[in-house]
Amino acid sequence: MTRTIASPAAVRQVRYLTWIVVLAVLITVSLVRVLTDQNRMTTPGTLRLALIAACPILLAGLGGLWAERAGIVNIGLEGQMLLGTWGAAFFAYHFGAWGGVLGAIAMGALGGLLHGLATVTFGVDHIISGVAINIVGLGAVGYLAQTFFIGYEGGGPRNLSGYAVPREITIPGISSAARWVSEQRWFLVSDVAGAIAGVTTRLSLLTILALLLVAFTAWVLWRTPFGLRLRSCGESPQAAETLGVNVYLYKYIAVIISGGFAGLGGAYLAMVASSSFTTGQTNGRGYIGLASMIFGNWNPTGVLASSLMFGYADGISLLSNNGPLVHAILLLLAVLLLGYAALKLRRGERVTAIVIAGIAVVLFAWYLAVDSVPSDFTGMTPYILTLFVLAVAAQRLRMPAADGKPYRKGQAG
Amino acid sequence: MRHLTKAAVLVGAAAVVLSACGTAADNDDSDNNADEQQQCEAVELEGDPQVALAYDVGGRGDQSFNDAAYAGLEKAQGEFGFDGTEGEASSDESEEVREQRLRGFADDGYNVIVGVGFAYSDSVDKVAPEYPNVSFAVIDGFDPTEDDVNCNVAYLTFAENEGSFLVGVAAAETTESDTVGFVGGVNNPLIQKFEAGFKAGVEETNPDIEVVSTYIEESDPRGFGDPAGGQAAAEGLINDGADVIFHAAGASGIGVFDAVTSADLWAIGVDSDQYLTASPEQQPHILTSMLKRVDVSTYDFIAAAFDGEPLSGYTEFTLADDGVDYSTSGDFLSGDLITEIDDYKQQIIDGDLEVPTEP
Repeated sequence: MTRTIASPAAVRQVRYLTWIVVLAVLITVSLVRVLTDQNRMTTPGTLRLALIAACPILLAGLGGLWAERAGIVNIGLEGQMLLGTWGAAFFAYHFGAWGGVLGAIAMGALGGLLHGLATVTFGVDHIISGVAINIVGLGAVGYLAQTFFIGYEGGGPRNLSGYAVPREITIPGISSAARWVSEQRWFLVSDVAGAIAGVTTRLSLLTILALLLVAFTAWVLWRTPFGLRLRSCGESPQAAETLGVNVYLYKYIAVIISGGFAGLGGAYLAMVASSSFTTGQTNGRGYIGLASMIFGNWNPTGVLASSLMFGYADGISLLSNNGPLVHAILLLLAVLLLGYAALKLRRGERVTAIVIAGIAVVLFAWYLAVDSVPSDFTGMTPYILTLFVLAVAAQRLRMPAADGKPYRKGQAG
Repeated sequence: MRHLTKAAVLVGAAAVVLSACGTAADNDDSDNNADEQQQCEAVELEGDPQVALAYDVGGRGDQSFNDAAYAGLEKAQGEFGFDGTEGEASSDESEEVREQRLRGFADDGYNVIVGVGFAYSDSVDKVAPEYPNVSFAVIDGFDPTEDDVNCNVAYLTFAENEGSFLVGVAAAETTESDTVGFVGGVNNPLIQKFEAGFKAGVEETNPDIEVVSTYIEESDPRGFGDPAGGQAAAEGLINDGADVIFHAAGASGIGVFDAVTSADLWAIGVDSDQYLTASPEQQPHILTSMLKRVDVSTYDFIAAAFDGEPLSGYTEFTLADDGVDYSTSGDFLSGDLITEIDDYKQQIIDGDLEVPTEP
């Protein structure tokens, strides 16, 4: 893909368009909420749940991003996350909350190193190595828990609880003011206030760290020479090699950081999303993280947006009597997809527009046909969304050119 | 190469989705067909009883279901003096893995085998005919093939609805917001039985109280091993106004305790007396626990085997025979409340009060 250097005016126009789209989505959400009278759609409580559910996915997704930007497919995120949950519990038990966080990162990085050793040094197929790491991670965590946690206070062969976790902060004035506004159920204002109250109430320091890491990743990978070299290994390792980049080294660094991110995601699960360790508690979130990376188009802000969406779906699937709420979301999806179809039509992509509009119509018909979505479907929401997004957005996605391709030193010859 | 990643994600997603289609237990048909099962001859064990315990997802150390089974094993060990063995389950395992575990035990000479949890129903049903001289039990189990009864299988079930009724009374008398919550691990008939009993108990005490309930997973057994899901579910109920939350979610329940602890509200434990195993910060928030005496059933089954009369067919453990109960550790229930609960308990035992099994 060639990319022309955008002039400042064009950049400004793109930003301007982005804001319009964000605003349009917000208005749609608020409209649907008011129309369907499903106020739980944007209450601070719901949005807080969504944020907490999103963070492990976000961290796994960012982990995947780091590896794939250097050309390594890291499907072992799930296993590295599992190692992270154990590391968080073990090190927090001995060295306090932040010791646990560092321990989780170290354990995840260890899983990343293993993946690097297999794929970079020995040239093993990335998928095979990743699947192996997932299996090894599950086994290792079971073994480690059994070996260490039995004698601990609050521990058992498969679980540990009662260790220190990072602090939660509530921003005093803003939290309660925003909560009050959100309870007024005003159009648009209350929805935004709900989001503000959601992120200012009992906000874990680890959540802040996770959000900062999005900016950090974007800055390092796109604004530093180090990041440029790392990405060049993912786009064209041969070219990077001819320019004197030590491709192996960069790939190793990337995959170790990737594992560290996944490990941090594990720590989040074991310290914020819950405060206890149970073997196998990741529950497929590593895979969802990988999906959020693809949907986010290998791009930090994209990963953030998609993991928030997955987190939201995950959060509402746990609410009581959520049938009517999910029902309202059908309408929301239908309207948003229609808007997207209109956008496509304007750009002249007629076939895509028709397909998307078709999906929207089906959703709308479904919305009209039933009063409430059966609970079997609400549990599937995150996965349906994944499939959906892959189907709708697939043409726009662009992965690093040499992602997953084997590379041996000296190929550039 | 994009296809590679995409294929990989699809494989991952498929694994997640497919495992969700796994074991949807159907406990409906556990209606007493004990009569027809009486015709079974007692299993002839070869040699001394050798006991093996096959755990469910969550495994030993879940401070709940599996630990209770282990307590029963320990008690029997103390009494009859045998070694016994245990097998751990992992959260993603397939039917074949469970069958292999059972066959492994049987081939190693274990002839008293307990499958802990309904997930073993199908595998035991398949493996049992191959080993006619081995006595199997499935805790919470059901016979998936009603017409073809295995005489060497015992299904140990509980009247969870009755025990849940009692903690429902406790919840109704404790709530100040007139809203109480229920978190189930997996939305199957077995866990719905807890919800039904709990709701009935609340309603009997005070019909004005609202019960809000949610399930962590629809059919994926991993709902019993996901503390993050438990915490999120409980926080959702707290947002709905619930101030007493009863969970039937195995190891995910630890997350429920976390949520009520940080919100300074009440939780009700399940299966074993969870006040005793909770961390010191959580203890002041565990009102009571619905006891499901998995230990009693495990012990009874093992003891019967040592007496030379292995159990067979359905055996339900109810309030009347201490199969289910409630706990008072922590002394959070007042004397009056205990009197009230015990009064309901007597009514249920006497048959004056019928507790529903479906919500």
